[in-house]
Amino acid sequence: MSALLEATEKALELLISGDEALWQIIAISFKVSGSAILIATPPALLIAFALAYLRFPGRRVLVSLFSTLLSVPAVVVGLTLYLLLSNRGPLGDWRLLFTQSAMVVGQIALAFPILVAMGHAALQSADKRAWETARTLGASPLRAFFVVIRETRFGLLAALLAAYGRIIAEVGASMMLGGNILNYTRNIPTAIALETSKGEFAQGIALGAILLLLAFTLNGLLHYVQGKGVQMS
Amino acid sequence: MSYRHIFVRIFSLLLIALSALQFSVAQAGEPQQVIRLATTTSTDNSGLLQALLPHFEKSSGYKVHVIAVGTGKALRMGRDGDVDVVLVHARKAEDKFVKEGFGERRFSVMYNDFVLVGPADDPAGVRGSRDVGDAFRKIARHKAPFISRGDDSGTHKKELSLWKKAGVKPEGQWYREAGQGMGKVLQIAGELGAYTLTDRGTWLAYQEKLPLRIAFEGDPLLFNPYGIIAVNPKLHPHVNHDGAMALIRWMIGKEGQTRIAAFTLHGQQLFKPDAKADEVALLKP
Amino acid sequence: MKPEYHLQVSQLCKSHGRRLILNEVEFSLPKGSCTLLTGENGAGKTTLLRILASLEKPDRGRLRLAEQSWQPWRKARRMLQQRVMYLHQHPYMFDGTVEYNLRFALGSRVPQRDAEPLIEKALRLIGMESFRKTSARTLSGGERQRVALARAWLRSPQVMLLDEPTANLDYESRQRTLELLQRLRNDGMTLVIASHDPLHFEGLTEQRLHLQAGRVEAVELNMNPATQPANVILMRRDYA
Repeated sequence: MSALLEATEKALELLISGDEALWQIIAISFKVSGSAILIATPPALLIAFALAYLRFPGRRVLVSLFSTLLSVPAVVVGLTLYLLLSNRGPLGDWRLLFTQSAMVVGQIALAFPILVAMGHAALQSADKRAWETARTLGASPLRAFFVVIRETRFGLLAALLAAYGRIIAEVGASMMLGGNILNYTRNIPTAIALETSKGEFAQGIALGAILLLLAFTLNGLLHYVQGKGVQMS
Repeated sequence: MSYRHIFVRIFSLLLIALSALQFSVAQAGEPQQVIRLATTTSTDNSGLLQALLPHFEKSSGYKVHVIAVGTGKALRMGRDGDVDVVLVHARKAEDKFVKEGFGERRFSVMYNDFVLVGPADDPAGVRGSRDVGDAFRKIARHKAPFISRGDDSGTHKKELSLWKKAGVKPEGQWYREAGQGMGKVLQIAGELGAYTLTDRGTWLAYQEKLPLRIAFEGDPLLFNPYGIIAVNPKLHPHVNHDGAMALIRWMIGKEGQTRIAAFTLHGQQLFKPDAKADEVALLKP
Repeated sequence: MKPEYHLQVSQLCKSHGRRLILNEVEFSLPKGSCTLLTGENGAGKTTLLRILASLEKPDRGRLRLAEQSWQPWRKARRMLQQRVMYLHQHPYMFDGTVEYNLRFALGSRVPQRDAEPLIEKALRLIGMESFRKTSARTLSGGERQRVALARAWLRSPQVMLLDEPTANLDYESRQRTLELLQRLRNDGMTLVIASHDPLHFEGLTEQRLHLQAGRVEAVELNMNPATQPANVILMRRDYA
């Protein structure tokens, strides 16, 4: 018990004193996951939109494919991408393995199904009249598309938060693809894994606290946003 | 213009954006100043590399990305050309790696030794054994819990060869493979009151936090040499071979060796520099 | 005098899956006329209106708009988009203020300076000046209907199609809507109103199309609607 207290005390000290190594790790986490979300969102939204608004052969198959992908474990995603990105793999020439880009790719792969599936659900529930009304009022298809996005913004934001929550806390794919390189690809979850394996619980706890705080914040936002979404309709 | 048109339009825009991104990634992807070093958890977790590498980075201008895994995985990464240089401790596997042409040449860097650690009360009575084979046989006879790395690391390989030398086939409830790094395995052994084989470096780093003691040490069989090998550029032309050689030259050169000797943990020297004069001479321009 | 036709439709067919909704529909809308479209539920009223509003594509058929024939559908659609407005039975309000909803109809190309008087005019038209900053989603059915009418009016269409504009409205809201329709008609706009309650529109409409089993069954002509109230101000949207 005293060991736990001691480690917690040290963790607080690390957080408050602005320990550089610690904040570097946190910065990397946010940078990588932020980029992944930024890159993944536009195409994911488009696919979600296509699934909700277009009728084309194979649509149902795609819908169920994306909801199946939701449940693929991160480690499997990591392994698959590792084999693809390894120098021996088909994408080895991109030289991405053990870089931040590889982590971004891995997190995109993890975020994408969530964004598509939840985005699809949100857009599906949107009123078809939104698109029609915008079009009859002279909006270009592009403007009408953004109108639909605007009208479903709370549902889409919920998808975004859920996806972000998954990738910021994910350890398996980041560890495999990034290699846990200090000051480069060591993010919060991989650092926690490493520090615990080294018996350095203080830093593990400090980082864990950040993740917990983040999880609570994201969840709170999610509830708020979903509540908003319900209110709107 | 309907959904379909707009979809095609936006999608092609995105493809263009993505390919531009891919291009910029390819451009910035691998600056030649980065050296990717695959090494064992023992060198990284002990803090040795963090004590050495900043000096190398400062004098050479290179940046070293350390990927700490088991020896087996490190060699595999070298074989696949996913890293530029490997620093490992599994002599047999290293020689095979070089012989098969994946690496150019193995250079001796340093050594430390393995120690057998176990619960303070030494339930198998290992303390005072004649040699390491004797100690291992006693553990097996008492069916005292033993945690194996079980991860194809250098330490794991060493442990397996020692069981073989002892003439014991380790199997049964008492023998457990953890599949984890050294530090984790020490923690598990501590929690379960088990014996395990560890490199001295990790042991020194952890001993304070563990209820374990050294049960046996000092047998020459427990000698643990580290070798550094640059990945063969003929096989993988993209590797940063110049960087790898610069790192090797520094590690086995005067500054690297002095700093290895000077590195201490809890007041104890962990690694003994072990560069061979003839190998150093090979690298002189 | 031969009446000038605004929109002429012939041989219009449309099926949903295997079900034939519209079967060789033919009719004409004289310029500036007001037409009542009746028929039982599922007779194809809404489908017909949606085709005329270019929201659905007919299987085949001919279309003459402003004495010009439009083929193929792609061209016809563009024409329809520019000249025909369609009002849902339950108009959709964008998530925003009444002003935002009205401003939407003007598009982003009309600068704010020019939009301002138009929006004011539209609000005055429907008598909802005080609702300008109200969230459109909080309006009652009748208020939504009027905002939707004003929003459509801002597009200055030549033809306006209304799907059950008085359904589910209380007496007062209905009267206000009818009054508005009368104004639009006096303005020279061609109107088509789909409704179950022909009585509501007595005196406003001069022809009645009855849809039955996908066909126009009866055309009643009544070329002499109630005399226009003298006090109706002519409202015309001008791009000053």
